[in-house]
Amino acid sequence: MWTDPLNSKYLFFTGKGGVGKTSLACAAAIHLAGDLTPVLLVSTDPASNLDEVLGTTLGSAPVRVEDVPGLFACNLDPGAAALAYRERAVSPYRGLLPEAAIRSMEEQFSGSCTLEIAAFDEFTSLLGAAETADRYAHVVFDTAPTGHTLRLLALPGAWTSFIDNNTTGMSCLGPLVALSKQEAMYRSSLEALRDPQRTTLVLVARADAASLQEAARASEELRRLGVCNQHLIVNGLVERTSTTDPIAAALVDRSSNALANLPADLSELPLSTVPLKEHPLVGLAALQCLTTRDTAPSSTVTGCTLPDVPTSLDTLVDKLLLLGRGVVMTMGKGGVGKTTIAEEIAVSLARTGVPVLLTTTDPAGRATSALKPPVNNLKIERIDPVLEVQKYRDEVLEAAAANLDQHGLALLEEDLRSPCTEEIAVFRAFAAAIARGEESYVVIDTAPTGHTILLMDAAEAYHREVLRTESEMPASVRQLLPRLRDPEFTCVILVTLPEPTPFHEAKVLQDELGRAGITACAWVVNQSFLASGTREPFLQTKALMEARWIDEVMQVSPFTVVLPWR
Amino acid sequence: MAKLKVYDPAMCCSTGVCGPKVDMTLVGFAADLDWLKRQGVEVERYNLSQQPAAFVANAVVNEEVRRNINVLPILLVDDEIVCRGHYPLRNELTDMFSLEAEAYPGLLRVISQNGD
Repeated sequence: MWTDPLNSKYLFFTGKGGVGKTSLACAAAIHLAGDLTPVLLVSTDPASNLDEVLGTTLGSAPVRVEDVPGLFACNLDPGAAALAYRERAVSPYRGLLPEAAIRSMEEQFSGSCTLEIAAFDEFTSLLGAAETADRYAHVVFDTAPTGHTLRLLALPGAWTSFIDNNTTGMSCLGPLVALSKQEAMYRSSLEALRDPQRTTLVLVARADAASLQEAARASEELRRLGVCNQHLIVNGLVERTSTTDPIAAALVDRSSNALANLPADLSELPLSTVPLKEHPLVGLAALQCLTTRDTAPSSTVTGCTLPDVPTSLDTLVDKLLLLGRGVVMTMGKGGVGKTTIAEEIAVSLARTGVPVLLTTTDPAGRATSALKPPVNNLKIERIDPVLEVQKYRDEVLEAAAANLDQHGLALLEEDLRSPCTEEIAVFRAFAAAIARGEESYVVIDTAPTGHTILLMDAAEAYHREVLRTESEMPASVRQLLPRLRDPEFTCVILVTLPEPTPFHEAKVLQDELGRAGITACAWVVNQSFLASGTREPFLQTKALMEARWIDEVMQVSPFTVVLPWR
Repeated sequence: MAKLKVYDPAMCCSTGVCGPKVDMTLVGFAADLDWLKRQGVEVERYNLSQQPAAFVANAVVNEEVRRNINVLPILLVDDEIVCRGHYPLRNELTDMFSLEAEAYPGLLRVISQNGD
């Protein structure tokens, strides 16, 4: 059984979005808790689906999962963590300081630094605290999609060396001042992560080249950070080959090719495989099937056909051409195909002769290398956090050089090493990309949901600051939210698969955007077996399960496209 | 040597690198404080969002803040207010401590450096 080698104290599941991290982490946790062993399951994804998958309402403190004795679970939600963090910092001063002072303190605790630090605080206090280690035999982390995971895992190192190197004690520690007392906790977190006896990193991939490459990249990067005990799981392997159905044959081909050509970084790792299930892996019964040989309890499936909707992106591209210029953003859960759809839209727009910029905010975003040969009128860029930080530092240092002596510059340089700087640099690059939508089409492939929500939160926080203060800000930042709110300028496309988890995540995203005054202009349902016309019985079962989710999309979407499985 | 206490308004970081645009006034002021320290002045700095207790503990500051929060920043030398409502330039700082302002590009630091 694939769960057998996974018995470390700490298990981290990582991989490209949509590969089944949450399902496998849950199944592994349920399996470990089998004989009443106390197990804690933790999601660090700001857009966690753990509640839905387990059918239990979770918070930031561990709660018992009703139907699995021994299993506890919690969500480390950065938004909630930041609020709690702010409350802890501010509440003791209510009554001691005037209301205006309290309000201005609260405003300071709403930026992206606070979110990042609060989330980090919760993460290390789980990983580094003796209580957690004593109470639970195993702690299973269902980590966020890859880019975010790597940053989170790299943080204990980054912060620890930041504290080590910071000598003046008056720099941009932000709320970190309060945290530096917990230095011991950071060190023990880092030690736990690097100890092969205690920690196993589980790399989850699908049997396709892109997801395996992503796993290889994560494997290499984490090995460099000292996390060396790694295990590879290839999830959703297609084993049935009974018919001559072209769709089924393509799936089987793709699986066997991918396994035969594992990236070098992965070929040395212990490997397990998990077969593709026809039912969505939601609810305990379905999850338990992942660790047994049973098939999921069958629900009644009635025949149905695809509703009358466009099955290509052409109509959507025509709608975009009416705008003449502007921003197109693809958003949705990791693994739903945001990048592919952004690429296709960008290429289609460029082929009509208009200038198009294609870029991504995903720190782990793949370079859109698929686009060969180069397309006329299409420019491809990428918001690379490392480069953006470098650019931002250089810009700041250059502007300051005229007014500071060497001591002042050294001080500033040290401050710019603060981990907050990355958040700001990436945010500014995002605002600048949006601003370029004034001159041409800008197609942005966004990061997975959690990261995108944080970016939108930052947009709102800075917008409030714009309204509140006269402070100098780049024009692109000042106009960011108004631009995003303008349906004649920005078109947000929500991308989903015809499955419950990515649908719900995209719906949450749509609601979040709505609260910020941003309306989605279309939904794209990607990789539909129902639209593919497959005759393979196993895939037809999957296709029939899709109908409900396509219907749900159409009820909340102003314009729906359903793309067949490719 | 005298002792300088700076009470900042609520902010993410006292050097101003944490906003969507770096505040050069704060960067320059941080450098100036660093310079003052090297001249032997004892400097303490409190940020309302990070060290609110300091704003409760000091009676002079507490009274000022209760009257009007926009009075921040407040600078105290030996518990007497020497500056409020803005960050002083280095020549103001050198005057406070009767120091010789050495040749230094930040001497006449221009606040309007903030422009785009």
